[in-house]
Parts: sequence; C-alpha cells; structure tokens
Amino acid sequence: MRAEYMREQKRSHGRKVLAVLPIQYPKELLTAMNVLSMELWGPPGAPRGPGASRLQAYVCSVARNAVAFVQAGGAAEVDAFLYPHACDSIQGLATLIPDLGGEDKPALHYLNPKGGYRPSSRRFVAGELRRLAADLAELTGEPLSADRLSWALDLHREIDRLRARLLDGRARLDMTDSDLYAVLRRGEWLWPEDHLAELKLAASRLAPMGEVVQRGVGLLLSGIVPEPMSIFDELSSMGAYVAADDYAAVGRRVVRKQLLASEDPMDTLAWLMFAYPPCPTRSTSLGQRMDYLDRLATRSSAEGVIIHTVKFCEPELFDVAGIKERFGARGLPVLFLESELEAELSGQTITRLEAFVELLTQRRKS
Amino acid sequence: MITRRLQYELVKRLAAPLLVQLQGASKRLKGRQGPRPGSPFGPPLKSVALLKDLMTRHYLEGRYADGAVPVAWVTSGFPVEILRALGFFSIYPENHAALCGVQRLTPELSDAAERVGHSRSLCSYARTDMGAVLLEKTPVGRLPRPDLLACCTNICQTVLYWYRCLADHFKVPLVLIDTPFVYGESQEHHQQYVRDQLEELLSVAERIGGRRHSSEELVRVARLSHEGTLLWGECLAESTNRPAPWTGFDGFFHIAPIVTLRGSEECNAYYRHLLDELRHRVRHGVGGIKEERYRLMWDNLPIWYNVRDMSTLLAENRFNIVVTTYTNAWAEAGKRMDPTDPVGSAARSYTHIILNEDLDRRLELMTRLAREYHVDGALLHSDRSCKPYSIGQVDLKDRLAREAQVRALLLEADHNDPRAYSTEQGNTRLQAFMESFA
Ligand code: SF4
Ligand code: SF4
Repeated sequence: MRAEYMREQKRSHGRKVLAVLPIQYPKELLTAMNVLSMELWGPPGAPRGPGASRLQAYVCSVARNAVAFVQAGGAAEVDAFLYPHACDSIQGLATLIPDLGGEDKPALHYLNPKGGYRPSSRRFVAGELRRLAADLAELTGEPLSADRLSWALDLHREIDRLRARLLDGRARLDMTDSDLYAVLRRGEWLWPEDHLAELKLAASRLAPMGEVVQRGVGLLLSGIVPEPMSIFDELSSMGAYVAADDYAAVGRRVVRKQLLASEDPMDTLAWLMFAYPPCPTRSTSLGQRMDYLDRLATRSSAEGVIIHTVKFCEPELFDVAGIKERFGARGLPVLFLESELEAELSGQTITRLEAFVELLTQRRKS
Repeated sequence: MITRRLQYELVKRLAAPLLVQLQGASKRLKGRQGPRPGSPFGPPLKSVALLKDLMTRHYLEGRYADGAVPVAWVTSGFPVEILRALGFFSIYPENHAALCGVQRLTPELSDAAERVGHSRSLCSYARTDMGAVLLEKTPVGRLPRPDLLACCTNICQTVLYWYRCLADHFKVPLVLIDTPFVYGESQEHHQQYVRDQLEELLSVAERIGGRRHSSEELVRVARLSHEGTLLWGECLAESTNRPAPWTGFDGFFHIAPIVTLRGSEECNAYYRHLLDELRHRVRHGVGGIKEERYRLMWDNLPIWYNVRDMSTLLAENRFNIVVTTYTNAWAEAGKRMDPTDPVGSAARSYTHIILNEDLDRRLELMTRLAREYHVDGALLHSDRSCKPYSIGQVDLKDRLAREAQVRALLLEADHNDPRAYSTEQGNTRLQAFMESFA
C-alpha cells in the first residue's frame, strides 16, 4: 500500500521521496520543498534477508531491521535517505547503508543538537537547516521558497493541533486505540495534507468537553515506537486504554507550544526544533523529562505507567530507573516491557500485561 | 574549605609522594618481578612501576580534592585543557570503571545499578560507575564528589545519557560539548558550534571554579596537552619496529596518563621516560613477546578482565598485538592541535575522533595503521557494551580483507562485564584464527 501510494505521489505530484530514519527532523522543510517522507520504523518482526546479520544482535531492532529492509530492496524506489541524528545507532547507519549497502542514493543528514536549548545550539540548528535545504534543493531542482515554508509551517501546526487534541482528549474519543494509532501512524508516510484530512475525520469523533467515553483503566505509555501494534487490542481486551502517550514516534513529536512569530520562517523553524516535548535522544535533562511525564500522567489521570521500549535502546533505557523512581514515589505502578520489535506480542508479555491491568483494576475498586 | 585545602595540599605535596616512594621501596625489597619462567613475554617494562606511582598519586589526591579545589568528572574525550587551566581536579569515570573491570568488580557494581532499574544492556562502564556511586565502593579508596560534570559526545551519545543520570544524582551542573558526527571533513558551521560551546564552557567553569581564566595558562596547558599526545604517539609508533618493544595490551594500561592527566607536566614526563625505555628496547631487539611471528591490529576497547589470559594465549602462539585503534585515538587527536589557538584547535581535534567519524574514515585509518605497523591480521572486538565502536564492524571485517588484504576475526565480548563473555568459546575462535596463519 505504501509503495503504491509513493508511486502515485511521484507520478501525480512530481514529488521526490525520502526514506527517513528515526526520530526527529524538520518535516516542514521537506513538505515545503514538495518532498514526501517515508519513515522507517521497522518493519516489525525479525530482520530478514541478506542484510539481517550486518549488525550485531545487541544493536536495537529498529536499526537492524532498517538495514535488512533497505538491503533487501525495500527502499529501492525512494530518491534519497535522510538520517536524523537520533542516537549512536542511527548515526552508525548513516554511513553503513549508503557506503556498503549498494545503495547509490544520496544520504542527507540532519543533526539534532543535544542537551536542550543554548545560544550555540540555536545557531547550529539554523546552519543545519540551511544545509539541509540546500541538499533538498539539489535533489528536487527547486530552491526553497519562504512562502512555501510559511505554508508548510502552518500546515504542520494544524496537524499538531489535531494530534494533540486526539491524544489529550483520549478519554472523550470514541475510537479504539488500534484505530487511533493507525491514523496517527499513517502520518509517518502520508503527504501531510492527506494526513490532516484523516485527522479531521478522527477529531469529529471527539465527544464534547466534560463527557467521558473511555471507561477502562487509563495508562501512560512511554517508549520509542508502538510495535507490535497488537498491544492496543490486547490492552483493550483487558479493559485498559492509552490515556497518555509518550512514544518517541508519536506523542514526543507533537509540538503544543504557540508558534514563535518571526519575519523569517527559517527562524521559526529553528525555534520549533527546540519546542518538542523532552526526549532522551535529544538529551534534555532528566529532571525536565520526569516533570513532563509527571504532568502527562496527572493531566490524563493515568492509573499506571508502561515503559514499552526497544531492547538495547540506550537513550530510553538510561531513563528507566528515573521513571520508576519518580512514579514509585507517587504510588503509580510502573510496568517495564522490553521488546525486540516483534511481529506479535509474546505469551509472556501478554501475561505480564494482564497481571498489571488486573492490579490496576483492583486498585481502582478498592 | 581552608582546612580541606590544607589537607589536599599536604597530600599532594607530601603524603602522596612519600607513600609511592614507600611502596616502591617495599617492592624493591621484595625483589623485582621478572618474567615467570617459561613466560612467552619479554622482560616487563620498567616504566610500569612509574605508571602505578603516577596513578596512585592521582587517585590519592582525588580523595582529598572535593571541598579543596573544584572537581569535575569528565568523559575521556572531553577538552579538559580548559578545566585544567582553571585549576579543576578531574576524575575520569571511564578510567575508574576500567580499573574496576580489571579487578572484576563490574558484576557486583552492575548488580547495584540494575537493582534500581538500570538495564544490563547499558554500557558496562556506565553500569560500573553508577554502581560504584550507589554503593560508594571503589578500589581507589574514595572518589571526590563532583562540582561539575563535563561530557563530550565525540566518543558516543551514551556518555550523555549516563551523565544526565549522574547530574540528577549529584544535583550538580552538567556541561556538554556536543561534537557533530563527521562525514568526511567537519563542516564550518559544525566547527563554529563546537567553538561556541567551548566559550560557553569557559564561562560556566569560571563560575564554578570561582576564577577568571588566563589566556597564558590556557595556552600553557594546551601546549602540554599537545606535547603529551605527540609523545604518546611516538611511544605507540615504536611498535612499527620488529619486534615491537611492547604489546598493544601494554598500551591499554599505559594510556591512563594521556586520558586522565592530559595537559600536565607529570603526564609528559612519564611518556618521555616510557619512550626512552621503548627506544632502548628497540635498539637492543627486546620485544614485548619473546618470539614475535605474527603481528595483529586490535579494534575497539580491550576486554579488561581478560587481558592477561588473552595476551598470554596470543603470545604463546607467537602473535603480538602491535597496534590498537583505541590507544591510537589519543595520538591522532594531537595532530590537529595548535596550542596557539587553544579553543579553535580543540574544536577541530576533539571533533575528529575515530568514534565520531564515518566508517570510510575508520577503514582508511585501519588500512593505514595496518600498513605502517606491518600487520598480518586484525582482531575486531565486537563489544556488546559499546555500540558506536561496534556498529559497522561486520562490514569493516569484510572490507579489510577485500580492500586491504587484512584477514580479521570478529570476537564477541564485553569490555567490562565478564558475564557477557565465554572465555572457552573466545579462546576456541582465537585458536582457529591463529591456526589459519600457519
Ligand atoms: S530504538 Fe533507540 S537505539 Fe534504536 S534507533 Fe531508535 S533511538 Fe536509536
Ligand atoms: S565504552 Fe563505548 S558506549 Fe561506553 S562510554 Fe565508552 S565509547 Fe561510550
């Protein structure tokens, strides 16, 4: 389906397509330059094909699967790759795939500065954006226009506004988690205007303020990417739902702050790159992240926290102790799940989820 | 504060030198340890005693440093010259973790870190260090409490995640030098970014250290640092001779001063001494191992808890590790240093570090080292704990064989955690690799 959609985008709209590795990148710039992003978050399941063993088994499956997928020709039709600077693994892939995978496509980079906002990093981001815009102009043959960038910034703010409404108003949304996440995650590869149309449709199912539709046990889920997606059906069958989202692929990419008004849309974009919720891959301080998660749990009245992270993902794993400590102190139960980007949840994981939800249900009753 | 300072100065100037002298004398009384009969190694390096003295003094001073002088905990690739010029005492958790690794303390320390929720998948240096902090347990007596955490991402992002946890634990500021990954050559705006951060670092360090920096002092420290890295490079380069006067495994231990005391006169004095000894050995044909038949390159960190066993196995089979990409990293850094421009050149040299460069650059470097050190093969330690160093090694192994005619073995282990290494399996693979040279 994705492949057909991509071809159609190229054919009918003359768009270039970029395979984009996780996590954060200036999507607005791509949209402004008529470039479609196809994000690579898997595919789930064991890595397959001749590239499956090019990375050691102790590297996270997001990276391993991406290499295997690309080497098996999964990205043959894209025009270039974009490697945001998420972590050591993605950084490593940035030289591995183009140099050695037989992929002769351009490798573009976007390096996220680490450690939160500083005057130095603000200048750096501006430089990175200019360089990426120049690389994209070379790819598309069209220079960046300020008007198009302003348009793209507005479009993506509208998308963020709706994504925030759906995530924050989850208790009022008459949709299953599975359906909601299917919509949200289609944003990883749909042209933003198409994604916006689907979000609007989903938002029309929000009940008025004050009404509650979801009556199950509300959970805060934190991790990198919600795979396998069957986790949502399992939770739902156990009487729980996702009240708050802190997945790097989903909630951590929704900007809720008011856009900085500036004459130059590039300035606005540079500002935006610091406006995302805290994420360990950008290394905002541990305290800031914990405060953010705390607010998320409080605002959504979450009754428990599930840390659902990818095995060997160091950025996430370093924060686990802190999350456990913070919520432990608040008396909010925490379940830690490490996954390998499985195609399906294992029996053992399902049992642990059941026990956790049961515990929360009992707490609610008492 | 004054008493603490007095105590520190007393230890630094009197007690520490006295203690190491006493230790040295007692060793001399016991008689110098020569090679065990039948040992495949050459005579031990005399400099080892000096190295031990140097590091003992460093950690001893450290015990009394907090409260007396500003203390920073620093990552190995941090541009420490700025802190040194401002009078900071620096502790290197990686070096300390390696010490723990050699003494096989990691499982116990890691267990403590795991108990509070840290995963065993994390870098074992980080687990060792966080465990040592939680248990307040260390083979060096006591680690001084930091006033500042100083982290540079030129070796990995892991250090940043790790230092965020330390910052949260100690409730002290964390300064970061974020060095953008280099594809080919570092770009101008990347260099500007690092320079800007170094300027930001200066003002934070001045505030915490309680004094303004002096340009002369910064240039002096940068000069010492530059000289130290060059001396270290010269020591390593002595192994281009046949036989190599020492082993790459020796190098793993002798790297400690350039990591922890970089930019100090004592560091350079030590390497001058070591260099003299190595040259003397070369002149007299004394090798690190008795019979050097095959020469190997080592990639990645050492397997600290297994260095002795592995080096013995190799030496018994007449294999010597003559060059390691790990120890070479500090020598490479010196080539871009220019003491007359301490900030600008620090930005350049600290960004172009092997772990911060793309795979093509790594292959180029390894090919060059293979040629210069006349190696017959390579051991690539696939280090479960160090993802940045290990990603790409599968391809490097193939490319080394194809493009540089260097046959290589990928050896799965963990640099600090013995629980992740099967000695038997490792030895079997190593034996098979060595047999392939017959
Ligand atoms: S899962 Fe973690 S380690 Fe893997 S690519 Fe994503 S951020 Fe990096
Ligand atoms: S061992 Fe590797 S991952 Fe660990 S701190 Fe050193 S460079 Fe980073």
